[in-house]
Amino acid sequence: MPEPPGGLRPEPGSYRDPRTRVFYSGADVLRGLDAQAAQDWKALAATDFFPAAQAAGRLTPTEEVAGPEPGRWAAVLRHERIPFVSYPYEWSYGMLRDAAALHLDLLRDALGAGLTMKDGTAYNVQWRGAVPQFVDIGSFEPARDGEPWAGYRQFCQTMLYPLMLHAHLGVDFQPWLRGRIDGVEPGQIRPLFGGTRRMLPGVLKHVHLHDAMQARNAERSTGTVRDQLRDAGFNRELVLATVRALAKLVDKLDRPPAATQWVDYRETCGYSGEERAAKAAFVEAALRGAATAGLDLVLDLGANDGAYARQAADRGAYVVAVDSDAGVVDRLYRDLSRAGDRRILPLTMDLADPSPGLGWAGAERSSFADRVAGAAGGRAASGGGTDAVLALALVHHLAIGRNVPLPLIVDWLVGHARTVVVEFVHPEDPMAKRLLANKPEGLFPDYRRDAFEQLLGARCEITRREELPGGTRTLYTGARRG
Amino acid sequence: MHLAYLDAGSGSLIVQAVVAGFAGIAVAVKLYWRRLTGRFRRQPANADAEAAADKD
Repeated sequence: MPEPPGGLRPEPGSYRDPRTRVFYSGADVLRGLDAQAAQDWKALAATDFFPAAQAAGRLTPTEEVAGPEPGRWAAVLRHERIPFVSYPYEWSYGMLRDAAALHLDLLRDALGAGLTMKDGTAYNVQWRGAVPQFVDIGSFEPARDGEPWAGYRQFCQTMLYPLMLHAHLGVDFQPWLRGRIDGVEPGQIRPLFGGTRRMLPGVLKHVHLHDAMQARNAERSTGTVRDQLRDAGFNRELVLATVRALAKLVDKLDRPPAATQWVDYRETCGYSGEERAAKAAFVEAALRGAATAGLDLVLDLGANDGAYARQAADRGAYVVAVDSDAGVVDRLYRDLSRAGDRRILPLTMDLADPSPGLGWAGAERSSFADRVAGAAGGRAASGGGTDAVLALALVHHLAIGRNVPLPLIVDWLVGHARTVVVEFVHPEDPMAKRLLANKPEGLFPDYRRDAFEQLLGARCEITRREELPGGTRTLYTGARRG
Repeated sequence: MHLAYLDAGSGSLIVQAVVAGFAGIAVAVKLYWRRLTGRFRRQPANADAEAAADKD
């Protein structure tokens, strides 16, 4: 196996296919290919399918470049950088479903061009805003007659089963994917689909039969089974039929976001129109100020319907909009997706328990904190991270709802960005009262506006403060010193 | 011999035949029929012999 070229930083998540390796060189994303992979790439590049899929934005823009050390790799590709890398356990249901549909679409078109895909994982897909894009160019190879799709098992484990969990059972799939890097195995999901649930779309074949077949054929090598299938008459038409059946099933597995406390929050939160307008104006002013030093990447934490994320996107930023409520994120995603938005990436994550590093050595999937710290938008000179973080109506949830000490919250916010826009909800605000009512009295003596302001002022320069018309919430803009 | 980097899973390959519909089910049935009848035959020395035996 060729070594990665010297002086370049290999992507820790790309070791699984020894024939190709992704690495970073400055702002460039490169992929080294060994002799076999280079041949596969040439076959892909020669098809009509490849430029068409690229032009439609379904495949990440890729070109062959002269390698930095051509001797070590047979060919080197350069991919257009993804603004912010995300993982399936951070996506909403609609996102996973659209990613699955894209994967199958591309496979169907590739089969038509005489190619197939080596794998079928959800990690092959990334996002430009609310538009999914297939990034694993190394996955394509010429199809061989009589062979089923090698990626079917992975597709089931990382996409189909998670979709079924949500669509059929109303269970959030994210913890399942976060808990297992290779996804959910048929034997793990099968016990959930007993009795009449066997009759739900796709369950009998893809779950029960799949699990039984795996158990019965565990002793046989895939090479033997491939030969037996070919001898029994398996052909390319059947691969296409499988993909069509999967695509039809994914299409059927639709389930609109459930109504939760936070969906429709804007209608039920009790803000006056006046307060909302004041808040929007404050955010606008803060973004204008931050934009003077460049506004490439903005984090909106507790994004809800994405109103402030949109303001930042309108100023040209790429916005990562995070909310802990998967239903809210799904609704936001569907809105953005309908509009073909390419500037706002909605993600679902509990901010008191953000994505850790996962996989081999805890580095294969990098933690949310590491991705933010290494984000391209942050100016290295000013300590990295993003250009601005918006944390509106968030702090009280972390401080009162999750008992996170205020100094830690302020450290965390200021550590994320050059500019921080943060809302402090006073203890006498109805929302804060509601949260405090669930906790023993007197548990948070330091949850006070003056204490918060002191903490914030010690960590950054407060450039603006404004109390909202209701008198129970204060907004702050903080700028990193130095 | 081609080596996929991914273990496609032996059972997962056969299920796809069933997923593909009637023509695929026929392939799966043929595969199992061959496995079944293969048991009652002397173990062929190689694949050619097996193919020849199937034509008997």
